[in-house]
Amino acid sequence: MSTTTAPPAAPSAARLPTASGLTFAGILRSEWIKLRTVRSTSWSYAIVVVISLGMAAIMSLALDLPGGADLPAALQTSFVVQASTFGVFFGQLVVAVLGVLVVSGEYSTGMIRSTLTAVPRRLPALWAKAAVLFTATVLVGSVANVGSFLVAAPILAGKGIHASLFDGAVIIPLLAGALYLALVAVFALGVGAILRSSAGGIAATLGMLLLLPIVLSMIPATWATDLMPYLISNAGAGMMASGGPAPAILEPWQALLVVLGWLLASLAGAALLLKRRDA
Amino acid sequence: MIQAQSLTKHYGSKTAVDAVDFTVQSGKVTGFLGPNGAGKSTTMRMIVGLSRPTAGSVTVNGKHYHEHSAPLREVGVLLDAKAVHTGRSAYNHLLAMGATHGIPARRVREVIELTGLETVARKRVGGFSLGMGQRLGIAAALLGDPATLILDEPINGLDPEGVQWVRRLVRHFAAEGRTVLLSSHLMSEMALTADHLIVLGRGRVIADAPVADIIGAATRSTVRVRSPHAGHLSTLLTRPDVTVTGLEPDVLEIVGIAASEIGDRAASAGIVLHELTPLSASLEEAYMTLTQNEVEYRTAGSPDSNAPELQEAAR
Repeated sequence: MSTTTAPPAAPSAARLPTASGLTFAGILRSEWIKLRTVRSTSWSYAIVVVISLGMAAIMSLALDLPGGADLPAALQTSFVVQASTFGVFFGQLVVAVLGVLVVSGEYSTGMIRSTLTAVPRRLPALWAKAAVLFTATVLVGSVANVGSFLVAAPILAGKGIHASLFDGAVIIPLLAGALYLALVAVFALGVGAILRSSAGGIAATLGMLLLLPIVLSMIPATWATDLMPYLISNAGAGMMASGGPAPAILEPWQALLVVLGWLLASLAGAALLLKRRDA
Repeated sequence: MIQAQSLTKHYGSKTAVDAVDFTVQSGKVTGFLGPNGAGKSTTMRMIVGLSRPTAGSVTVNGKHYHEHSAPLREVGVLLDAKAVHTGRSAYNHLLAMGATHGIPARRVREVIELTGLETVARKRVGGFSLGMGQRLGIAAALLGDPATLILDEPINGLDPEGVQWVRRLVRHFAAEGRTVLLSSHLMSEMALTADHLIVLGRGRVIADAPVADIIGAATRSTVRVRSPHAGHLSTLLTRPDVTVTGLEPDVLEIVGIAASEIGDRAASAGIVLHELTPLSASLEEAYMTLTQNEVEYRTAGSPDSNAPELQEAAR
């Protein structure tokens, strides 16, 4: 501190605008400032976009279908959508880590005490965090998925496979992928708030996204097979289904409800514990 | 004004705060004094709702902290220097804190200037020294220009200039009629800064009185006398309220009589003095005496088994 100049003898008596009170709009603004002013956010979102575009390019280039133009239009559309949304599988892992860190980072650094002192009713801070993370992720996810389409479509067109972005069977799965990314991020935020630890939160979330489907598939029982579509990552894939060859067990809107169920369970647990526990 | 009524906090079977009652008045600086683990921080955390009381309640200006419509305008709090995300700059931290209450960036720059953080405000907090972290914590507490200021060990890690600045700051706040509560485990610091003291020991209020009273009651001055006729002098001074202790054959420590009076009486009896030194008991000693009593009182049942640990706690 030797470099700083002598502090003034007394605080300035400048008064603040009398209207300055605690509002939800203010809490939203605060959480937005917090999200954009840590490096993990920009890194995570950059990785989501890069992986998405990269995967779309790899998938499109690898696809080898002699006589693509002879395929039915619906199947052509399905190929393009699959190539464009392939990155979501990896992107979900990145936004899940981000979602956990948004809240566990506050616990590990002690920031949560500042947050809850400013918002002593606590729950508005959780809702604002969720809303800001959801909005940012949906926007980044849309950019990533539409961008991926713009990468994949020309490559596949060269192979005689065509699809239009403005076809409902294309744009809806692309945006559903973005929506899924945002829902996973908020789900992970809830898990992070429940466990209050970065390592624990990341392990638990990635476990549910990645390991649960593998473990379940190794159980040789019908109930295990029946349960598969209801896992969060499988339901996420179901949200983006584009009418491929295999008929899906859940309609996309049903898959969305399943993902929402996971998210609500996680947020409800987080809210309950946030309200009850000492910070 | 902060009012606590039978405020209690248990952590499992351990009682951190044990049914304390106190009132922190506005317009003066109130010091929260006690050894580590006395319950100062826990009490402060309960005031701003970070910890939930097991029993009892505490209000700020008549309301629970979370009931205020603009908590940061009501109470500015420094709980510990590490309540900041290490990956964010000081400026952005304050901006985000203020945004919840619609506090403008202008005010953020103002508190940065006030706390002398201009040169580091754009740097990430992770690289801050303890002193800079402390200044940032104080900046956050001042952000809402609050009516009540609560500072937990504010001078921790500050350089002497910073310590003086904190003293002037809290004096100024109190002079404006605001409420100031600050904690310390250093009695000497409290003697310089506070008007009123609430002394905590093992979760209880041991003393709640003006600083001067507490220091006066706990401090008794001693006079050291060196004389070749110490024995004679000792009998000369014997009175019920005077204690004379012979340290060496020619050295006495005398409590209960002023140095000037000892000198006068020695002179009139023709006794030669080689040394006559008034020794003020240090504030730290006074404070140890104060908390030691609480420790002894609390462990009357098993004085031997717990004594070392408790003395450690009192320190």
